[in-house]
Amino acid sequence: MTSTRKLSLLAATIGALLLTGCGDAETTIIEKESIEVDDSTEDDHDHSDDEYLIDSLGRLAVLTANSSTAIYDLDDGSELDTFSLTYASSTLTSSADYRYAVIASRSDDYVGFIDSGMWREDHGEHLHDYEQGPAMSDYEITGSRPTHIVKHDGQMAIFFDGDADSSTPASVQVVSDTDISGETSVLPTLNYTVNMHGAVEPKDDYLLSTVRRDDAESTSVAKILPDQVALYHLHDDEYEQEQVLDVLCPDLHGGAQNETYAVFGCSDGVLIAHEHDDEYEAEKIVNIDVLDSLRIGTIYGHEESDTFIGIAAGHDAGESILIKIAPEDSEMEALEWQPETDASPVAYGFSYEGDMFLVLDSQGYLNILSAHDHDGETHWELEQSFDISDEDIANMPDGMNFSMTVAQNGNYVYVSDPIAEHVLQIDLETIEVVSDIELGFAAASISWLGVAEEHDH
Amino acid sequence: MYKISRIVALVSALIPASLMAQSIEGVVKNSEGNAVKGALITVEGTSAKTLTNSDGRFVFNDLKAGLNELHISASGFAHLYQDIVLTEDGVEALALTLIRSPIEVIDIVGTPIHMSVMESASPVSVLSGETLRRQQASTLGDTLEKLPGVQSNFHGNVASTPIIRGLSGPRVLIAQNGLDVSDVSRVGPDHSVATEASTSQQIEVLRGPATLFYGSGAIGGVVNVVDGRVPTDNTTRGEWLLETNSADEKKLASFNVTTGYESFGFYADGFWHESEDYEVPVEAEVEEEEHDHEEEESHDYVVENSSEKSNGFTLGASYLFDAGYVGVAVEQFNREYGIPGHSHDGDVNVYADLEQTRIQLLSEINIQSEWINQVNVRGAYTDYEHSEIENDAVGTLFENDTHEIKVDVLHNPLSDWNGGFSLHFKNSDISAVGEEAFTPPSKSETIALALMEEKHFGDVLLQFGARIERVTIDADDVLLPVLEAHEHEEEEEDEHDHDHGDEETATRVFDVAHKFTPVSLSAGLVWDFTPGYNIGLSVSRSERAPSAAELLSFGAHIGTNSYEVGALFALDGEEIGLSGETIDLETANNIDLTLRKTQGDVAFVFNAFYNQVDNYYYQTNTGLFVESSHDHDDEHDHDHDHDAEEEEHTDELPVYIFETDDVVLNGFEVQVAWQATDTIKATVFSDFVRARLKDGGNLPRTSPLRFGTQFAYVDDSLTAHLDVTRYQSQDHVATDETSTAGYTMVDASVSYDLPVSNQDIMVYLKGTNLTDTEARVHTSFIKDIAPRPGRSFAVGIRGNF
Repeated sequence: MTSTRKLSLLAATIGALLLTGCGDAETTIIEKESIEVDDSTEDDHDHSDDEYLIDSLGRLAVLTANSSTAIYDLDDGSELDTFSLTYASSTLTSSADYRYAVIASRSDDYVGFIDSGMWREDHGEHLHDYEQGPAMSDYEITGSRPTHIVKHDGQMAIFFDGDADSSTPASVQVVSDTDISGETSVLPTLNYTVNMHGAVEPKDDYLLSTVRRDDAESTSVAKILPDQVALYHLHDDEYEQEQVLDVLCPDLHGGAQNETYAVFGCSDGVLIAHEHDDEYEAEKIVNIDVLDSLRIGTIYGHEESDTFIGIAAGHDAGESILIKIAPEDSEMEALEWQPETDASPVAYGFSYEGDMFLVLDSQGYLNILSAHDHDGETHWELEQSFDISDEDIANMPDGMNFSMTVAQNGNYVYVSDPIAEHVLQIDLETIEVVSDIELGFAAASISWLGVAEEHDH
Repeated sequence: MYKISRIVALVSALIPASLMAQSIEGVVKNSEGNAVKGALITVEGTSAKTLTNSDGRFVFNDLKAGLNELHISASGFAHLYQDIVLTEDGVEALALTLIRSPIEVIDIVGTPIHMSVMESASPVSVLSGETLRRQQASTLGDTLEKLPGVQSNFHGNVASTPIIRGLSGPRVLIAQNGLDVSDVSRVGPDHSVATEASTSQQIEVLRGPATLFYGSGAIGGVVNVVDGRVPTDNTTRGEWLLETNSADEKKLASFNVTTGYESFGFYADGFWHESEDYEVPVEAEVEEEEHDHEEEESHDYVVENSSEKSNGFTLGASYLFDAGYVGVAVEQFNREYGIPGHSHDGDVNVYADLEQTRIQLLSEINIQSEWINQVNVRGAYTDYEHSEIENDAVGTLFENDTHEIKVDVLHNPLSDWNGGFSLHFKNSDISAVGEEAFTPPSKSETIALALMEEKHFGDVLLQFGARIERVTIDADDVLLPVLEAHEHEEEEEDEHDHDHGDEETATRVFDVAHKFTPVSLSAGLVWDFTPGYNIGLSVSRSERAPSAAELLSFGAHIGTNSYEVGALFALDGEEIGLSGETIDLETANNIDLTLRKTQGDVAFVFNAFYNQVDNYYYQTNTGLFVESSHDHDDEHDHDHDHDAEEEEHTDELPVYIFETDDVVLNGFEVQVAWQATDTIKATVFSDFVRARLKDGGNLPRTSPLRFGTQFAYVDDSLTAHLDVTRYQSQDHVATDETSTAGYTMVDASVSYDLPVSNQDIMVYLKGTNLTDTEARVHTSFIKDIAPRPGRSFAVGIRGNF
């Protein structure tokens, strides 16, 4: 009968399985190359834990004109990988701890990330560096019109302007590199009820962020610009307003902070905020005469620098005036050095230790200012205007410009020359080009990535 | 019988299906001759089922000619089996009598052979209906702990997992509707199980042959959480519940509803609960003896960091057709809970944020073919993520992506053998990233074939199961760091001159591939040696492939406060290197004896078991310590005024290494129930397990002897329960383990049916730990810092429609 035959067939099959594999256990171990840097003979009595660290110049993210981003190895100038981007109109910056390239597209409500593959973890008893291939992260942060992205002390705050047309209010989301690697689903968020072109400064569990009042009340000329700053405190993933600073800041635009102060640009001066007895105090440094009708709309600050540099520029990008802002003395003053009239600045930045301020201009000059102490006052003086390009500026591709990015692990700045299609590494100590990376294409912008070194205090 | 059925099979195979429709009519009564309403009658091997009406009557149409086995069950009665041979055109009229059973008999769903606490070769337990609602807790372990043979590893109200006869962790498989729950709860006692009791219909605890349909890992048993997420019919019904509890200020809301339209069934459930740090009768942490006894000013003791909040919902839909159903359900499960004892110092509270998305496809199709009568397909995709967060930063991120598919094929009786086989495939990607990533990323794959059969030989039911499996575990980057471990005796200035000279200093990296072929066999019989009694005997030999965590771990696991090293490695002097030993399967040889009295005013179940596990993977203390100084301040931390005391959290973690040894577990469970009157029932129970190493010594965290009584009063509108459970002290401890004192838990509950509308609405009051006693759970990893909650009262309201 078939039934018995089938049964016996099944039994035979099982029997065969039993015979061939009964209780089999097989382990194959293939030793791979050891991680030398990952040495664990950590001697508790001798904290020379350099052996966990990777000595590298870092990596460079290069945004191309045709919406892709390439990651280069700065040690040997080789291209590690190229990633095509979803959206055409993207901007490039780095994440708060420089592990990720941050790709933002304001018009597409998109913020995405590329993992440079280099990062550092604090393993408690030692710092531990990692070096891997770059990779596009699946993680995205969405929000309406991501506009200003600021970073401070391991936090990156994204100001989403919102959109008046669709009545989408503004918001702020704060993301750390750990959030990006862990793909945190709910980020600390500040939700507004109205859209605005605002500014935010993150500090620990707090945000100093702008407030747009009712248009009837607002002292701003352009109502989309806020005119107040408030302190927000994080509770359960949500920032809640704790205090509104009592100094108005009409047409607020631009902000920066150092260890003690946060500074915001207003049409009538700059607003200075600092913490005092658990409360924030605010004061205004009013505009000086040299500004005339201009106002400070962009501010650069550095954790280690007592003074801020404010940029006052006309709307037609004609002249720019560089202003030193000294919150401790409640004063501002124009720098002695100002850009040449025919060379408009295209990029600004502090060196990684904050003792130099770099102004890259449209003529291909890297103007290096350094801080000098005169009777307790900081003065910014020109060290050198360093010509970084031999090319004819007239050949600059349309819509492109020189760009730069400051290394965070040494006194280097990287400058991209879209005409020569290369990136130069410039040593700021000696002010000379120490190496160049041939791209073979024109870079729209560049951003340094890797393991930032701590500043000496 | 054999001959008849063969002829019938032959005849029925020749007749077209449409001609085979037969009917049975019958009436179900109790022994006093009164009609039993609402008794469920099913026909074995088909999906036909019906309930008796108020006169106890039922009708079946469309049965096929030949032997039909009816299975009649009703609450409070013993199950009844009745074999009926239907002839070509005969209409049977049956009179069936059910006999009372004080021990509730509930069938296990989803196994090809029917099993229940009273009728299978090896013990199974089920929690369902009212009892489930009364005992449900936030965690699976606490929900099941009143079942004989099951205890909880009580992890501070937040992450408890069941221990079955002294076995837990990777040896107990947790399933949701028959499919792996796919979380990381098998890896760490502080990891919560991603299931919810408040929306489930029944929770089954299986041992013996039935487990082989789930996986070989389940040598300790299977816990299957069953709910109705894929509806099998489209009757509109539902259940809702609101509850609040005092000790932890828990608030719970849950509902589930099933409905349908024509051929479609729809299901939705949702739950939400939130609780605060729970109160305890004594200071949570066990004090050092010499503590100045400040006059106890306040009694507001809580277990810090034991709050919890969870929520989730499930949506399901199914297509119902004559031969069965097919449906899909999507579940989102979120839980955020504090991890008591997971803090490195007083200020840093660590909590876990768990998120799981589960998609299940369930289908059952009856096939009118010569050989096969039913095909059940179950598939799931789960995406699990669980981050452990300290200082608002993700410390460790555990991920588990699992794909699973299981096809059960049940055959028509073959020479009176009932049963089927199951093909099973499962693929899991597990990783842990971050500071406490003590297990490297790995990929596990299982392909299995299982067979389960049963046959009645007169008074004897024979059941057997077999499973063969291919398990592979691949990990590309298994790290072997050079561990700077030291012994502890040497006091502060342990002057190690670390002249390591030209020793190896690099972390070695291995590509490890394991391939296992575990084979498990199980056989059992149930002998109804005299009416109303039976004896069950079950023997099994199960092989288990060790899990990735048991093999490949290397790192600090703060959940258990230890530095864990997998069995791939071994200690050589003070250094840890690759173990030269073969990585072998764990083999359990189990014998299980059950004596039951199934009917009458007094019923009982006695189980005794002897389980010898060779190559049992377990952690042993190496006596070494590693420093794990967690610096919680990040680099740029200028603002925190931590300067006061340069906190250098130099916790030292003991190093535990997985080794294998032969162990023996034996013990018993006893349950005696007496239905004193129609409304009053008394139950006494006890369970015990002794877990020891064959060469001497005990396994750690073994549940103590437990006994207790349960009194129940149930009438039409009022139900009252009083449970008294005594946990004895446990002094069978492992090295470095402390003994734990015994305690008595007194719980009571009263519920009242509100006479309103067409809904059944019930209000209830529950009191737990009424004597407010200090109860430290020996099976808990954190018994010294998290005792059970103190006296607590819960009130709730619940409805059915």
